[in-house]
Amino acid sequence: MSETVTLTIDGHEVTVPRGTTILEAAKTIGREVPHYCYHPGMSSPAMCRLCLVQVEGAPKPMPGCVTTVMDGQVVHTESEQAKADRQGVLEFYLVNHPLDCPICDMSGECDLQDYVHEEGREHGRSREPKRIFGRDDFGGDVLFYGDRCVMCTRCVRFMSEVEQDHRLTVVERGNRSVIDTFFEEGLEGTNWHGNIVDICPVGALVSKDFLHKARAWDLDHTPSVCTSCSQGCNIDLHTRDNLVQRLKPRENLDVNGWWMCDEGRHNYEWINKGDRIEAPLVRDSGASKAVGWKDALTGLLAAAGALDGAKIMAVASPLASNEDLGAFTGLVEAFGGGDTVYRSARAESEVVLKGFPTLARRKDLAANVHGADLMGATRVGGDDANGGLDDIAGHRGVILVLGDALADQDESFGSDAALYVYVGTHMSEATGNAHYVLPVTTFAEQEGTFTNLDGRVQRFWPGVEAPGMARPAWFVLGAMVAEMTEGEGARSAADAFAQLAGSVQAFGGMSYDDLGTRGAVVNETVSLAGD
Amino acid sequence: MSDVPFKNLGWAGNTGEFDLSEDEVRGDDFVGDRPAHGGHASGSATMPYMLAEKNPEATLFEGEYQERFEKILTRYPDKQAALLPTLSLAQELRGYVSPESMDRVAELLELSPAYVRGVTTFYTMYNKRPVGRHLVQVCTNISCNLCGADEVLDAFLKYTDTELGETSEDGGFTIIEAECLAGCGFPTCVQINSRYFENVTPTEVPKIIEHLKSEGDS
Amino acid sequence: MAYPYVSDKEVRILSTYFGDPKQRHLDTYVERGGYKALEKALGMGADDVVNIVKDSGLRGRGGAGFPTGLKWSFMPKDSSRPHYLLCNADESEPGTFKDRELIRWDPHQLIEGCLIGAHAIRAQHVYIYCRGEFFETTQVLARALEDAYAKGYAGENILGTGHTIDVTVHAGAGAYICGEETGLMNSLEGKRGEPRVKPPFPAAVGAFGMPSTINNVETLCAIPHIVTNGGEWYKQYGTEKSPGTKLFCVSGHVNKPGNYELPLGFPLQELIDDVCGGVRDGNALKAVIPGGSSVPIINAEEVSRCTLDYEGCVEVGTMLGCASVIVMDETADIVKQVRRMVDFYAHESCGQCTPCREGSAWTAKIMRRIENGEGTEEDLDMLMEVTQKMVGTTICVLSDSVAAPVQSSIEKFRDEYLALIRRGERVGAA
Repeated sequence: MSETVTLTIDGHEVTVPRGTTILEAAKTIGREVPHYCYHPGMSSPAMCRLCLVQVEGAPKPMPGCVTTVMDGQVVHTESEQAKADRQGVLEFYLVNHPLDCPICDMSGECDLQDYVHEEGREHGRSREPKRIFGRDDFGGDVLFYGDRCVMCTRCVRFMSEVEQDHRLTVVERGNRSVIDTFFEEGLEGTNWHGNIVDICPVGALVSKDFLHKARAWDLDHTPSVCTSCSQGCNIDLHTRDNLVQRLKPRENLDVNGWWMCDEGRHNYEWINKGDRIEAPLVRDSGASKAVGWKDALTGLLAAAGALDGAKIMAVASPLASNEDLGAFTGLVEAFGGGDTVYRSARAESEVVLKGFPTLARRKDLAANVHGADLMGATRVGGDDANGGLDDIAGHRGVILVLGDALADQDESFGSDAALYVYVGTHMSEATGNAHYVLPVTTFAEQEGTFTNLDGRVQRFWPGVEAPGMARPAWFVLGAMVAEMTEGEGARSAADAFAQLAGSVQAFGGMSYDDLGTRGAVVNETVSLAGD
Repeated sequence: MSDVPFKNLGWAGNTGEFDLSEDEVRGDDFVGDRPAHGGHASGSATMPYMLAEKNPEATLFEGEYQERFEKILTRYPDKQAALLPTLSLAQELRGYVSPESMDRVAELLELSPAYVRGVTTFYTMYNKRPVGRHLVQVCTNISCNLCGADEVLDAFLKYTDTELGETSEDGGFTIIEAECLAGCGFPTCVQINSRYFENVTPTEVPKIIEHLKSEGDS
Repeated sequence: MAYPYVSDKEVRILSTYFGDPKQRHLDTYVERGGYKALEKALGMGADDVVNIVKDSGLRGRGGAGFPTGLKWSFMPKDSSRPHYLLCNADESEPGTFKDRELIRWDPHQLIEGCLIGAHAIRAQHVYIYCRGEFFETTQVLARALEDAYAKGYAGENILGTGHTIDVTVHAGAGAYICGEETGLMNSLEGKRGEPRVKPPFPAAVGAFGMPSTINNVETLCAIPHIVTNGGEWYKQYGTEKSPGTKLFCVSGHVNKPGNYELPLGFPLQELIDDVCGGVRDGNALKAVIPGGSSVPIINAEEVSRCTLDYEGCVEVGTMLGCASVIVMDETADIVKQVRRMVDFYAHESCGQCTPCREGSAWTAKIMRRIENGEGTEEDLDMLMEVTQKMVGTTICVLSDSVAAPVQSSIEKFRDEYLALIRRGERVGAA
């Protein structure tokens, strides 16, 4: 028996591995057969009956999600019969579905809206009163609008097969069946329940955090990487009005499958915080003055030149991108070299997603701890990301800080320093004594890469505009380094990464083109072009 | 058929051309006493009766009931398969399956409470609320319907002074409709707790109610 | 004899001892020749037993009519994994009441059939899944099984042959859908009794993920007789494609309702007029459902042409199903009865598949509206279309069963619907 099967789908010849389902085979030629209950990350109950396709020779329509392909099979997903079958099933879905579109969060990204618009009847024929379930608070971040539910049971199966904490169930049977938890137990204490909102094909399960916040069609999607721990889940930033409205996981089978944890999902408000440093600040006779970049960098270069063998102490941040860290360590070198430390919060234990065990909420609670390590920075301080800076606080030489909020330090930090440069996003007590404050961008406002705990380098893109005059750290620090070493400053993030690839052995041979949207692991031959 | 006289007094199905006592038809003598500990393990999963006496606070499980529970477990390859017999056993003791009962059964069988709730609510026979001493289920499906089941149902409601699905004031009777009880040759078929009452007509209903009140329960 | 009335047209094989309470006792059963078939079967190879059953042409008596010997032959021939035989005693099809009689009058016949069947499919465990409402019936079975164990007919080392076969009686909890073979398996496994997608088929992945075969009570009760007398003997009764006898459950508007064991192919008209003593009160016959509520209704003219075998029923546009004959006379209210049947399906639908979950409830609501005099003629066309979308589009055939009574009644008794629609008049009273 050969390893592949050749069949015909909608007139196209398709060759796929033996054991592939018709639905997956259709995907390979770009044909998305409508479906609800099927999801590649879970079991296939074939109960939504939406993926019924016509198979020549079969006595009745076959569910594409579980029917495996056979040599010589002729499948029609778009024939009159197949469309009529689908229209018939869609009509049943609308019998009890409420006309909630004007008030439903899912509007604009709803599989029922889309399918009915494409192929449904113009008018529903049911004149009977609809069954009512009402709204139920499932606990955690989830609200359940029972009337909208299409009973695909993706949520039930996610909790029982993927999170493996069987919290949801179908209660009752027949037309009286509804999704529910064990009475008041709800979803409290689970760590991945946000995913059920993602996989719900309609607006039955919605996020409380996102409730009535923004319309789906107003949102821009930008591919990015979650920064809440070192797993590096691929995500999308959903933005509107230059604010991040929510985070959604992005599929990457090598990192996070189709999922992300609740902690990471809800940790985005900090990106929207106002009160940013919007211009470079120079301290001049006790007062801070906002200046332009040229003046700031010129002044800083002069101050650097005036130093005479002063010792350099540097603090980096595990939330900075590889490119930012590369430029920062380059700056430390250009100043004469010195030790770079970083602090990072750490949890006591991992939280593994049992049904997809390569995914976990990791102990290191920042995205680029591995990147910082690869650049030669040393970790200091406690698991609460505090402490470890006693030597630096009163240092008399040069203090360079990138990104660390210095939240545990007081206004005496750096008061004795010959030169104290703070490169970051927000002011604090501890930045008061900085001679130069340079405003930079967060990961959401720039292009760059993070290195996850497995050494996978992953790209992210800017989803919001930087405030005021804030610029990427790799750009401004790179320009300084170029001046100090008579080199070339990187003009783009790709350039900055290429420079890294040249100087840090782990990144050797990598380029942005290689990384694509799926990333690649350090020290491994990169052979795939990304998509 | 509703006019053919009964040959046995226990409403155990009109015996037509046979001359049988109620016990002979039901097989009570043959079955004898069924011990609470379940008897032979092969039948231990089927014993649950619907008893008139119920104790919502009964322990799950102790004594002979614990023995029966353990026998049940031996008949299946895993604990999950023992779920239906265990729920029935809990209902035998407590009269209905409350959230606490679901939780306890989940604990005993190492399942999640939400899962147990999903299974319990799927099946009609698990009472989700307390019921009267006698749960009267009148079949109104087609074969009995053709032979006057609606009138029998109305008679039960009238003579117990209850609403459909509700329990009578004295806690004695809960009346509900049932789907086909597989007694179609003996219309109308009524199940009261664990006993079948067959060839029931509206005139028989008050006699049945008196009979139940005087007798206690099976 | 059949129960509670007898007819001399009957051919009594399974129902010989109906109405005889002594048959429950093991010594009586053995005295009358019981468990000899088991002994004979255990002395043969499993495949030899299968061949005898194949020879007999026995077809499943649960409604599908699938050849039993063929079904048994699908099981793997090795026993590297446990095999299970499941006996479907979840008798819930409206109009059916034969399995209850078989179990309560002749429990050992069923037990013997189960043991022989288990041997034939190399199973070491039999589960007899009885519907939960059968409290009394199940106790009779459990008691008889206890006796069988005590005397060495079941359990370890049966009759000293070295074969071990265990039997467990398992009670359901009130769900018609657990009579569907994969629904039963899920229920047995302690889950919601929701049918599974096929493939995989039970012989590959059945109860507890292991190769399993499921047979109806009546099918298994025929086995001891077939093993004793051989396949040829069985074929002398019935028709060529539907050999053997069948227990016909007759209910509704007849004078003598009950179970009758007759050869397959028996004319339906004769069953009603002769065997059952005719329609009650001398009324005219209006309609009959020959195979339980899931098959199309036939009118009086079709009844006169209908023979009760699998092919004969198909010829008049219906199906034999489980041979539960529901008789309706001129006083029957067709719309009300169809509405009641659709209510039944809506109540019993497991809810997985959208056409059934939504369609059965929708159909029930429309039927109710028509019955209350608020229907329109467009509703009739819509019912035909909507129920047609429920045929062939779901995991199991409960959905198709909604279409059968609705479509056949609208086609053949349209005037009753129209009376309600146009004048608010009910035609019947029952």
